[in-house]
Amino acid sequence: MDKHNFWLASLLLAGACGGGSAASSQGGAAKPAGPAGTVKLADPSGDDDGPGTYKYPTDAVYTPGSFDMTEFEVVPSGDTVEFHVKVDAKIEDPWDSAAWGGNGFSVQMAFIMIDTDHKAGSGVLDGLPGTNVRFADAEAWDRAVIISPQGPTRVNSEIELKAAQWKDRIIVPRITRASGRTLIAVVDTAALGGPPQSTWGYQVLMQSNEGFPDKTDLLTRKVNESEGQHRFGGGTDYDADPHVIDILVPAGGDAKAKQHEILSKYNKAATETVKPEDRAVVPMVYPGT
Amino acid sequence: MRRLGVVAGVLLVGGVARGDIGNFDLAGKMYTKFMYQNDDTMGCLSLSNPFWVDNIGGHNGVCTEFELGIKGSIGKSVTAGARLQSRWGSIWQDWWENGDLKPSVGLSGGDTSGESLGMNHAQYIKLRGVWARFAPPIPTVKWVTVGSTDFSMWNEWTIGKARYIDRDNGNGIFVEGEAMDDDLLNYTVGALALPKLWGGPGWQTGIAFNDPLARVYSTDWAFAAKLESRPMDALRLKLIGAWLQDWEPDRYSPFLTGAPSADRGADHSVAWVSRFHGLNVTLDGVWSPDAPEWLVVTGLLAASSNYVNPDYATNLVKQGQGFSPVLFVVDENGNPVSAQGLAGVVRAELSDPLDIGLSLKAEYFNIGSEYNAVMGARREADVLLTDGIITTGFGRGGQLPTLNIANEFVDWDEPWYENVIGWHGGTGVLEYLRGTFKAMAEYTFIGYNTDMQNRDTENQYPDFLYTNGFTDTYTFTADQDYANKYDRGKDPRSVYAQWQERTTHIAVVSASYPLPSVIPAKPILGFKYKFVNDLDERQLENANDDYDGTMHLAYASLSLQPTNELKTNLGYEYTFWDEKKRNGTQTGGYYDAETQRHTFRAGLSYAFGGILFTYNLEYFHKDLQRDPAAYYNMVWNVWRAKGTFEVAF
Repeated sequence: MDKHNFWLASLLLAGACGGGSAASSQGGAAKPAGPAGTVKLADPSGDDDGPGTYKYPTDAVYTPGSFDMTEFEVVPSGDTVEFHVKVDAKIEDPWDSAAWGGNGFSVQMAFIMIDTDHKAGSGVLDGLPGTNVRFADAEAWDRAVIISPQGPTRVNSEIELKAAQWKDRIIVPRITRASGRTLIAVVDTAALGGPPQSTWGYQVLMQSNEGFPDKTDLLTRKVNESEGQHRFGGGTDYDADPHVIDILVPAGGDAKAKQHEILSKYNKAATETVKPEDRAVVPMVYPGT
Repeated sequence: MRRLGVVAGVLLVGGVARGDIGNFDLAGKMYTKFMYQNDDTMGCLSLSNPFWVDNIGGHNGVCTEFELGIKGSIGKSVTAGARLQSRWGSIWQDWWENGDLKPSVGLSGGDTSGESLGMNHAQYIKLRGVWARFAPPIPTVKWVTVGSTDFSMWNEWTIGKARYIDRDNGNGIFVEGEAMDDDLLNYTVGALALPKLWGGPGWQTGIAFNDPLARVYSTDWAFAAKLESRPMDALRLKLIGAWLQDWEPDRYSPFLTGAPSADRGADHSVAWVSRFHGLNVTLDGVWSPDAPEWLVVTGLLAASSNYVNPDYATNLVKQGQGFSPVLFVVDENGNPVSAQGLAGVVRAELSDPLDIGLSLKAEYFNIGSEYNAVMGARREADVLLTDGIITTGFGRGGQLPTLNIANEFVDWDEPWYENVIGWHGGTGVLEYLRGTFKAMAEYTFIGYNTDMQNRDTENQYPDFLYTNGFTDTYTFTADQDYANKYDRGKDPRSVYAQWQERTTHIAVVSASYPLPSVIPAKPILGFKYKFVNDLDERQLENANDDYDGTMHLAYASLSLQPTNELKTNLGYEYTFWDEKKRNGTQTGGYYDAETQRHTFRAGLSYAFGGILFTYNLEYFHKDLQRDPAAYYNMVWNVWRAKGTFEVAF
């Protein structure tokens, strides 16, 4: 008996009959409405397990679905651009972010990586510190938007400390907030170098906000071999494994399997010394092409 | 710190596993606080022990603490850790002392020997928590934890997460497991040592010099279990039960009451009897369907039953001026019985259903008049949607279902929490997001299950002495103001009154708007207006005792970020309270009061290279006008500042 039927039979939860997942298992672009540059990408639910093995930390604040991205939107609006990252759980603020100058949520964090030119030899191949991923030469990122519950001065401080070489490419939004299941970042169009174009590529790396990050991590939560109260599990105790929980994948095929395949391609033999080529290569998604 | 050689670092010596230092994660933090105020107190903590004034509370001083966390991985299935932290309580200027001055070296006639007693200014490093966590090969068991935790696995209505300000972690033994695959049924069970200092009647579980009826705290435990299920993607269910047990030795035991003679039945054993036991159970669920995806519904049902044995717990309702975290309920024959209560909260959140940026939240709450989570969250949590009564413009806060709320060991800029036992009503919140603009409007109605005529607040129900008047969270002081000699209004824990027939209306609107980005320093304007009308007819047969309190609060702020590292805030808040029949007694009559308070605050935060510095400077002027027939007026002109400097490494 599957779990759905088990509960229907045993607990008579009649009111919940229609609650099964209706999300597509296919990632990819819907037809967006709105001004040029508008993007809407779906991502399957249930793929918040990185390469297929990752587990959430055990503390109760990491509710199921918290890092399971289900939709990504880019909404240009005059001199600002809104980025929406929807997850499969109500976004809450269990650590009272207002007490530390935060943005109204606590555990989620997302890196929106943008390739504005789709050219080899242009942009950055390395992922941001703590994500432990890299990008292909022709899909290197040119801009990165950080959606963090930390206040802007703290995020800027971390950028200065850990990613100073890319600080001109990294955008801390004017406004970061959460509403319902959606993380929202409002960015000045000028900071992106202009309004979003249909040729731009995107990748969203789902992570978790770590207020006390490792010295090499940009506010990211580590993935270890075993999950801990505040550590993801299912990876390794080193830094070759990708420390991202969910990503976008190009349309076509089984998106979940594709994500698992992409994030599994790292050098599992790398331990103390991790070279860039040891890390998994994550793709950009080009919804306009 | 990256772990070095997890495999190579594991050495087996004589069958005992130990971790090499290479697999240690070390995390340090230095925290320094600068506090100044135009008063005569010394220390670095605005509100310290509310009853016996201790030696760390005060407004003028600079203090530092250091924390070190250590975590080691012994293998894939075993980790262990410890948290060390220095004791708070030494200001920079008394760096040569270990403790308080010896009695003969006091302020009067003392010398400059620097001799001191004790260790309470020594800043010694204390073991705050130590734990081991392992995954034994036992069916269904995923993890076992022995030692310290923050109790975050339960919830606010049963056993709340330990407050950060409690400093030390509580200890227990916990087992987490997966009874059925795919999150169909997970479980957590645990046994927790009760805190002797606040976890029961009289805020303790058996300290003889505090409660002559009790003397043993080392046998007291809480037992808790949690079942979690995600029967379908859209639905999460959680059932939590917690049992608190405070034991005392049977004082009538023959072994304790006379000669150890077998003829007396003394058999060199002592039975245990309950001083207190309490049960709290909650069932809560979250329904977040795929369609409509903008809808989330959450609900919680709770029940509590608390029994106090008056033979072993001094009745502080009767003998402590009504200050008690538990009820001392009796039946019609005067025999002690359990205080029992139910509670329910259901909330629907519609996040932008029309795709126009407009969201709606609606909540119904009904908390029984005797529901009480004795070990529930004491602060740093919030169980209701409403802004509540106690929050202001600068001052944040929340609502919690326990008489054990703690608004002490905090500074003047920290949140305040109020008791919601007996609250019955609803809240509606509209939220509008459009680009950078955000606006919110709330209306809340509260009726009270605690309404009653001639409630027994002398023997059974604690009223915390101060039952009416808006609570002024700005004017609490570090001196001996536990007696409320400065008329700061209602105690936030107070929900019972001898005469009560009460209703409350709350309306709040707020907005924040970033000015156009062509303006330098990224200015953001903030605004809040709050209206509260609190009516209490008190004794229904007395037309001249009706409390009618009206609050108007207006708040405006401007935040600027001149550089990537620096953020500043300027704010002003105006508060006006018009309170009819605020103070008095049924026999002596009641008298009006009017309060105006102007508060200015300027703050900054500077973050650079792993260092964070914050500073807040506040001035408030308060006029409390009272009826001259009974009381004198009071005025406050208070300047105060708090700076913090912290670096984690």
